[in-house]
Amino acid sequence: MNAPRQHIPQLVIALFLALMMGGAIWLKIPLSWVINDALVRLAMNGVLVLSLVPMLNAGIGINFGLPVAVVAGLLGMCLTVNWKMTGLTGFVAAVLMAAVIAVIFGSVFGRILNRVRGREEITATFIGFSFIPLTNFFWATAPFTNPAMLWPIGGKGMRPTIGLKSSFAKILNDFLPLEIGPFVIPCGLLLFFACSCLLVHLFFRSATGKAMQAVGENEGYARLCGIDIDWMRQLATILSTVIGAVGICVYAQSYGFIELYDAPMMLAFPAASALLIGGSIAGRTSVLNVIIGTFLFHTMYILSGPLANDLLVPEMAEIFRLLLTNGVILFAMLHAGGRNGKPCPAM
Amino acid sequence: MIRNLTISAICLAVSLCLLSGISTAADTYKIGIVTPTLSASEDEFRGAVRTSEKHPGMIKHITLPDNFSEEQETAITQILGLGDDPEVKAIVICAGYSGILPAIQKIKEKRPEMLVITAPIWDDPDMMAKYVDLALDTDWVQRGISIPTKAQQMGARTFIHYSFPTHMAKEVLAKRRDMMKTTCGKLGMQFVEVTTPDPTTGAGPSPMLQFLQEDIPRQIARYGKDTAIFGTNCPMQDVIIAKALELKFIMPEQCCPTPTQGYPAAMELEITKEDAGNFDKINATIKEKAAAAGMTGRLSTWPVPVGYFFPEFSTELAIETIEGRTKDFDTAELKKTAKTVAGVDVAFNRMKPELDNYYLIIMDSIIY
Repeated sequence: MNAPRQHIPQLVIALFLALMMGGAIWLKIPLSWVINDALVRLAMNGVLVLSLVPMLNAGIGINFGLPVAVVAGLLGMCLTVNWKMTGLTGFVAAVLMAAVIAVIFGSVFGRILNRVRGREEITATFIGFSFIPLTNFFWATAPFTNPAMLWPIGGKGMRPTIGLKSSFAKILNDFLPLEIGPFVIPCGLLLFFACSCLLVHLFFRSATGKAMQAVGENEGYARLCGIDIDWMRQLATILSTVIGAVGICVYAQSYGFIELYDAPMMLAFPAASALLIGGSIAGRTSVLNVIIGTFLFHTMYILSGPLANDLLVPEMAEIFRLLLTNGVILFAMLHAGGRNGKPCPAM
Repeated sequence: MIRNLTISAICLAVSLCLLSGISTAADTYKIGIVTPTLSASEDEFRGAVRTSEKHPGMIKHITLPDNFSEEQETAITQILGLGDDPEVKAIVICAGYSGILPAIQKIKEKRPEMLVITAPIWDDPDMMAKYVDLALDTDWVQRGISIPTKAQQMGARTFIHYSFPTHMAKEVLAKRRDMMKTTCGKLGMQFVEVTTPDPTTGAGPSPMLQFLQEDIPRQIARYGKDTAIFGTNCPMQDVIIAKALELKFIMPEQCCPTPTQGYPAAMELEITKEDAGNFDKINATIKEKAAAAGMTGRLSTWPVPVGYFFPEFSTELAIETIEGRTKDFDTAELKKTAKTVAGVDVAFNRMKPELDNYYLIIMDSIIY
């Protein structure tokens, strides 16, 4: 009885998407555009959404401290751009450096979260928010030397946006593109996303992954089984931070720019929305939730804009989209009932 | 007798010293410049720094709190502090905030001779005109005429206006959009209004930027390359210019016209430390890159950022006034000084016909 009800959010969004798709066909908006963009957006944002999974499964909750991971990724990318590393080498170097920095950030972040049990989500939100001003100071004063990255008037400190065209913009998007008529499938980008998903999936099949899930589902039981709870939680935070850092590298190469200063501040919210729409439940979030959620959430964005503009009701579409997305998230949260709550008996 | 003489001599010496001090103060004076911090707005801050370097020892540069709206009292105290300094004879405020007028009122009550130039602050225009000696701002609404006109001269047949509900709820921006629509109608250009996801509704600017990346190619496929694209939000400019280089459409002007917005990121401009802030060099580099991309004549902006121009321009006006080279701010005088500072012609329009000390400016453009 519970299973179909559990999928109500996805069904509502899918129905809305189908309606919009019908509208798009009626307005003669080429379907190929929508599908091409949807595939790019899925992989571009997917890794960031995927980064929330380890922490959710370890019972730490949604990682609203995603900006910490994003900053690690940005730092990795800035270093490679500063050293003028380009192409695939540049991208791989950026990802590796981002991962190393993320391990350091993640272990500190994990330690803090271990000290604030029960209030992890709000603490993570504030860690994210307070980390950004600190990094703003760093960006403004860091001794980077590539003149394509520095403020054009002062000549010191980093620009808010750094172009990646000559470094590694669209390196994954343009890798092995498959053209079938008007459809262009970004195979390289999708492959990277698929590999990331597979790795996370395999991790949760391993003994460590299962132990992590056990901590998320029942901490007391996990402790009785001899699992080191604090270490598991810290490992989950490190993993989330590393995946988040890689995620921003994927995002930036697809977008074509590195965005510094306040840009990472709100990145956790669309990622969390996508995951909740995908039907995530604390302790039992799978890679499938990530794929479904990211696809539904971002395809809604792709369709609502052009549709609303063609129907000449842009403000209404924005209100309707926000209402529906946030409503569905609320529904998903009510259904999950929180970490210690019970699912509503009526559901 | 000797004692009396000694006392008189001491008194004389003290008074002479005091008098000489006063006369020194009359010869050397200072000008206070008030700007936001570097992280809040680079242009104004660097403009003031440049002015300080041009007039060493003459400028007292102070910065307002980063979080102006919550620390308004601190800001007012800082400005009043400038007014308390007897050496300061003029105050130039380049802030772009509302709520600074009370500080100016207090200074003027205490020292009516203090010259105050705002460039800009956003308080009630009539009240400002009453207390401020000269108020300057950009002519935001008039740009609704100048931008489409320039776009048409650059070869545009369609004009696309990208914005979102929060911006269109602002009177000035909505008025400018309406002016653009009317101007396009008069010039025989098609006006297309596109609404993007709102960057103020929680998810930040990234959905808006992703939408722009996907929507611009669609619009260009629909309306062709002779389309001018204008976006009302600063982060949009990076994407618009990058897409212009790729799809070869026209970018007549950014929301805040300056060579340092959008161009550095989209063109990956390499500006060395020595050339930083050298706008002739920056403009030449952009021109070169535009030519290399086959975009000559399809990208444009103002040659100097307004925020960078205002501190220096206002200070020059203050110096001319204090040193008696100019008495009132008539447009001929303003234009002459503006051309010296900016290197191009600057047009001055009155904010309201009855206000003779509140001017709105439009700078001549540079087409790369």
